[in-house]
Amino acid sequence: MAKILLEVSNLLKSYGAIKATQDLNLKIKKGHIHALIGPNGAGKTTLVNQLTGDIFPDSGRIFYKSQEITRLKDYQRARLGIARSFQITHIFSNLTVAENMALAINARSGHNFHFWRNSLKSKSVRQNLDHSLARVDLEHRAGLKASHLSHGEKRQLEVGMALVGNPELLILDEPMAGMGSGGTVELSKLIASLKGSVTILLVEHDMDVVFSLADMVTVLVYGQNIFTDSPDKVRKNKEVQTAYLGESTDA
Amino acid sequence: MNPLFRKYFCITVVAIILAILPIAASALGQEYYISLFSRVLIYAIAAVSLDLLLGFSGMISLGHAAFVGIGAYVVGIFFYHSAEMEPLFIHPFVVQGSENGLIVIPLAVLVSAIFALIIGTLSLRTKGMHFIMITLAFAQMIYYFFVSLEKYGGNDGLSLYSRSTLPGLDLGNDLQFYYLCLVLLALFLFFATRLVNSRFGIVVRGGSNNERRINALGINSYFYKLVCFVIAGAGAGLAGALLANQTEYVSPGLMHWTLSGELMVMVLLGGLGTLFGPVLGAAVFLLLEEFLAMYTEHWMLYLGPFLIFVVIFAKRGLYGVLVGGEKSNG
Amino acid sequence: MLLVVEQLLNGLQLGITLFLMSAGLTLVFGIMQVINLAHGSFYMIGAYVGATVTLYTGSFLIGIAAALPASAVCGMLVEVVVLRRLYNREHLDQVLATFGLIMFFNELTRIIWGRQPLFMDVPHWLSGTVELLPGLFYPSYRLAVIGVGVLVALGLWLLFSRTRIGMQIRAGASNREMIGALGVNIKLLYTLVFGMGTALAGLAGVMAGPILAVESGMGESILILTFVVIVIGGIGSIRGAVAGALLVGMVDTLGRAFLPAIFRYLFDSTTADGAAASLSSMAIYILMAVVLVWKPQGLFPAHN
Repeated sequence: MAKILLEVSNLLKSYGAIKATQDLNLKIKKGHIHALIGPNGAGKTTLVNQLTGDIFPDSGRIFYKSQEITRLKDYQRARLGIARSFQITHIFSNLTVAENMALAINARSGHNFHFWRNSLKSKSVRQNLDHSLARVDLEHRAGLKASHLSHGEKRQLEVGMALVGNPELLILDEPMAGMGSGGTVELSKLIASLKGSVTILLVEHDMDVVFSLADMVTVLVYGQNIFTDSPDKVRKNKEVQTAYLGESTDA
Repeated sequence: MNPLFRKYFCITVVAIILAILPIAASALGQEYYISLFSRVLIYAIAAVSLDLLLGFSGMISLGHAAFVGIGAYVVGIFFYHSAEMEPLFIHPFVVQGSENGLIVIPLAVLVSAIFALIIGTLSLRTKGMHFIMITLAFAQMIYYFFVSLEKYGGNDGLSLYSRSTLPGLDLGNDLQFYYLCLVLLALFLFFATRLVNSRFGIVVRGGSNNERRINALGINSYFYKLVCFVIAGAGAGLAGALLANQTEYVSPGLMHWTLSGELMVMVLLGGLGTLFGPVLGAAVFLLLEEFLAMYTEHWMLYLGPFLIFVVIFAKRGLYGVLVGGEKSNG
Repeated sequence: MLLVVEQLLNGLQLGITLFLMSAGLTLVFGIMQVINLAHGSFYMIGAYVGATVTLYTGSFLIGIAAALPASAVCGMLVEVVVLRRLYNREHLDQVLATFGLIMFFNELTRIIWGRQPLFMDVPHWLSGTVELLPGLFYPSYRLAVIGVGVLVALGLWLLFSRTRIGMQIRAGASNREMIGALGVNIKLLYTLVFGMGTALAGLAGVMAGPILAVESGMGESILILTFVVIVIGGIGSIRGAVAGALLVGMVDTLGRAFLPAIFRYLFDSTTADGAAASLSSMAIYILMAVVLVWKPQGLFPAHN
C-alpha cells in the first residue's frame, strides 16, 4: 500500500449561494497519476486553487505528507514541493525560453538580488538549465522568445518550469486545453515519462488522455467527489456515466 | 543584414559620432554644438534610467523628473553653501557646503536614490493607473516644496557661479565636461545592460509580464520592483547633478511634470525597452526642439500629433527601425 | 470666526471646481480604463471659448452656453479620432498619446489667442457681495459657482440613480464586462460619457475664468489636483469624486489660509513663514500619501 501524499477532508468553499466545493474528501497516493474529471463548472479549478493556496476553503482541512497545510500561502506550499501549471498558460512571454527556465531555477536557490552577472551564467542555472530544457524537449528553442513558441511548446515550457526543483506533487490544470492533437501526444508522452518519479494531480477534459495515463480517477460533480476508483471501474460505473460521461461516451 | 550585426553596427556608429563630435565642432568653430550635445548626453542618462522602469519593469512613473531635480538641487545647494561659507546644517553634526565633484555628484546620486526609496515604497503599494497618478503627485509635491524654499531661490532657482571641481579635470572647459558626460553615459549604459540580463533583471522583466507567476515561483516581486525603482531614481539623480553643472543653474522647473513627460517621449521615440534607443530618442527630441524652434515658434503643434502617430502606429521607435528584427532586451 | 467661515466657503468653491473636473475623468478611467492626461485641455478650451464669447457678446451666460458644447464637441472628436484607438492598449501608450494631445492643444491656444493671458470680468449682475452672516460679505460670483456645482452634482446623482443610461454607466464603471452583457452600444456610450466629462471640465474652466487668468497650460495644474482627488476618492467612483474633491478643496484652502498663522504662533516668524508655505503647498499630496497608505484603492473603491 503506497503512502498517502495529499489528503483532503471535508473541504467546503462557497461563493454566495453557490457551493463550489461541498464536503469533499480526496486521497492522493504517492507516485500516482491521479486524474480529476468532471463537467464544466464542477469546481475543478476551485479545488486546485485551494490545494495550491491561491484561495482558502471556508472549512475542511488539507494535509500534505501528514502535515496540515490548509492555511499556508501559495509560495509557502511551493517551497514544500507543490508545483502547479495554470489552466491559462502562465509563462513570461517577454523573456527567452532559457530565461524563463532560469527564473524558475533561480527561484529555488536563494534570493535574486544579483545585479551584475548574466542570469544564464550563475552556477545553479548552468548546472540545471540543460537537463531542465531537455526534460520537456525544448533545448533547441533556448534562445527564442517565449512569445514565439507554439501553443504546445508553451505548455511544455510551463510544465518544465513547474518541474524545476523536483516537486513531489505536480498539479496540472488542464494542460491539454486548446492544443492540437500533435501537441496532446507530445505532452501525454511527457506526463507518462514522469510517472513514478513525481505524483501528479491531472485535471483534464480529454478522456483518452485520462484513461491512458491515470492510476486513479476522481469524478467531481457540483463540487462533490461522487466516485473515486481505477480508470476501468470509473468507465463502467453507471452513476458516472449518467452524471458526466453520458454526453461524451461517443467520443 | 542580421539584427545582431545591425545592432552593434548602429551602436558603434553612434559611439564614434559622439566621440569625435566635439573635436569636429571646435575645428569648425561651432563650439555651441558641444554644449548642445552635452545636454543630449545628460538627458540620455535620464532617459535610459527611465527605460529601466517603462521598458523593463512595467512601472509607468510619471514623476521621474523629480529625481533629476533632486540630483540637481544637491549640487546646487552644496555649491550655494560653499560659496556663502555657511554650513548646511549643524545638528546633529556639521555639514559644510562643497564644490568638489567627487563629493557632490555621488551625494546627488545617493540622495535621489533615498527619495526614490521613500516614494517607491509608498507608490508600489498600488498598481496600474494609481501608480501613474501617484508618482506624478509625489513629483508635484517635491516640485512645490522647492518652489516654496525661499532660501534657495524659490521659483527662480539658484545660479551656480562655476561647475564642480574634479581632480585632474577642468569641468569649466566644455570639451572636458562633454567627455565626462560621455564616459558616464557609457558606464551607465554598460551597467544597465548587465542589470537587465542579470538574475535580478529577469525577475523584474518577468514580473512586468506576469506578476502572479513570479509570486507562484515563490518570489515576492515587490522588493525587486522597489530596488529597480531606486536604481532608476539614482540614474536620474546622476543626470540631474550633471545638468546642474552643465547649465550652472538649478530651478524647480527641472522637476516639473512636463519634463517627466518629455523623458517618456524620448524613451518612446528611441525605442522602449532597448536601453540604447533612449539615447537616440534624447538626441532626436532635443535636436528637433532646437531646430524646429528656429523655423517655427509653434513646433509643439507638430510634435504632439507626431507623438500620437508614433504611439499608435510605430511603437518600435527609432532603434527598432534602425536595428530591425524584433524588440530586443538590451 | 467669520474668517473661518469665509475660508470654508472658499474651500467649498475649489472643491466644487475639482468635482466638476473629476466626475468626468473618474468615469473615463473607470469605464474605459484609459488614463487621460488631456482632460485639463478641455478645461482650458472651455475657459478660452467662454472668455472669448463673453467678450464679444458681453453676456457671460452666452459664454457658458458656448463653452459647454465647444468642450463637449472637442472631447468627442478627440475620443473618436485618438482615444478610441487606445482603449485596449497599455497605459503607457495612453499616457504618451494624451501627453501629445496636451502639447497640441496648448500650442493651438497659443496660436489662436496668443501668449498673453485673457482676463474675464465677473458679470456685473454677479459682481456684488452677499451678506451671509452679520459682517460676513461673500462675493456673489463665488456663491453662484458653488450653487451651479451643487446643481450639477444633484443632476449627476439623478442621472446615475434614476435613469437607465446612468445605471448602465455606473454598472460599467464598477464592472466593465457588465456593459457588453447589457447589450449597450458601447462605442456610442463611450463617446457620450467622454463628451459629458469634457463638457463638465469645460464648465469648470469657464467658471474659473473670472477668478483665474485664462492662459495656455492652465489645464495642467488643475489636472494634477484632479488626479489627487481621484486617487483619494477611488477610480471610477462618483461618490469618491465628491468626497475627494471636497477634502482636497478644504485641505488646500484651509492649509494656505491658516497654517502661516498657526506656525507663527509656534515658531519664530522667518522659520514659520517658510515652513508654512512649504507645508501648505504640499498638504494635499501629504493627504494623498496618508490615504494611500491606509487605503490603496481610495476611500470609495468602485471595483471590488
